[in-house]
Amino acid sequence: MKAELRKLTTARSTWVLLAIAQVIVIAGVSGLMLRRDDPASDAAQRGAIAHVGLVALFGLLIGILAMAGEYRHRTITDTFLARPRRERVVLSKVVVAGAAGAVFGIAASVTALVADAVWLAAKGSSIDLANGVLGKTVAGGIGWNVAFAVVGVGLGALITNLSAAVASALAWLALVEGVVGELIGGGARWLPFALGQALVGLPNSADRPTVWQAGLVLTLYAALFVAAGIGVTTRRDIT
Amino acid sequence: MTDVVLQGLTKRFGAVPAVRNLTCEMTPGVTGFLGPNGAGKTTTLRMLLGLVRPTAGTATVGGRRYADLPQPRRVVGALLDSTGFHPGRTARQHLLISADQSGLPAGRVAVALDQVGLGKDADRRVRGYSLGMRQRLGLATALLGDPEVLVLDEPGNGLDPAGLAWLRGLLRDLGADGRTVIVSSHVLAEVQQIADRVVILGEGTLRHDGPLAGMPGLEAEFLRLTGGVA
Repeated sequence: MKAELRKLTTARSTWVLLAIAQVIVIAGVSGLMLRRDDPASDAAQRGAIAHVGLVALFGLLIGILAMAGEYRHRTITDTFLARPRRERVVLSKVVVAGAAGAVFGIAASVTALVADAVWLAAKGSSIDLANGVLGKTVAGGIGWNVAFAVVGVGLGALITNLSAAVASALAWLALVEGVVGELIGGGARWLPFALGQALVGLPNSADRPTVWQAGLVLTLYAALFVAAGIGVTTRRDIT
Repeated sequence: MTDVVLQGLTKRFGAVPAVRNLTCEMTPGVTGFLGPNGAGKTTTLRMLLGLVRPTAGTATVGGRRYADLPQPRRVVGALLDSTGFHPGRTARQHLLISADQSGLPAGRVAVALDQVGLGKDADRRVRGYSLGMRQRLGLATALLGDPEVLVLDEPGNGLDPAGLAWLRGLLRDLGADGRTVIVSSHVLAEVQQIADRVVILGEGTLRHDGPLAGMPGLEAEFLRLTGGVA
């Protein structure tokens, strides 16, 4: 576990991703606040803070890097020599990547709240931290980050080619989930990205899964990815 | 005193047989593990280290499979030609990670760095390392757990003449210490200077297993046993 944490913190990509994530959150919050003429409304506030959830893409990348990155740099040999019980290696990565997802989510939440407060002040209003919408959106956004980071570890274990794993993840989010959603119609709201959105209370429609349903199904996805990843990892020849 | 025992070890990749029914025993001292390209050396070493699953047979260290060793790094140290390093990490970071995940005290890192002569370069990123320095870092990783058994695949790769002379001394000392040192190499002249025994593979099967002393000429024997042309 300590080794996994050290791997994460000694890779510069971790810090670069964390920095870029904050830039995206600030840009996202700013874009929304610029457009809205009702910036203090619940809908605008939820929309602004929901950008925390988008950082889940970075959590996903952290998870993929933690696993497929070891194959990319061939450090996986050293890792499995040190810990021949490979399922434990994957599980340590799940814990550390999940924690990293939480840290990304928390950092993004602070950034989003600060950006939100600055914009509200600029528009002659002020942020209402007691508003339950903010708390719920923050919590959902952090949960989304954790879930996607864990999915990333599973995905990186299934697709050990780092570029292919990252490309698959991006393709799913940008393209494939939309296409699959069209094919399955109403079931689309149970696909991973849609569930992440449901966690932060989006979209604003009646048939969206509740936060608890979304959290449960997303956890199930994460568990499936990890289980499949472990199954493949323990059988793979490291040549 | 830890013996390495291969028993009926077999590996097929799909339909391709890489190692066929290999049985031999490697005892303390330096064993040259030889064979032409594609003879199955690396696959055998990887099966011994639990990285590749045997199709049949077993490979054990002191009577246990690698994966069943409670602290494998304290028993077996390995340098494989394709062991990688993250280019952005320093040698010290690499060894600290290795020590952490192997359950070894961090204090071993400085000892291993000194042992391979990387002490003054330990805090540079591996990206800027020469092949020889990477090889020394790989050796440091292998030595980290002060193991009884060393499995080294082409340890001389990329070392300059001074480095080779140093490596020769190191391997001889490790063997003389009573450790079981298995060295795979194509450089027969080097093997001849350090090995107590040689194991020769050809096409995935055992061609020779015996002491080096008394062999007429290693290269001639090697070529005769593996069907090469002198």
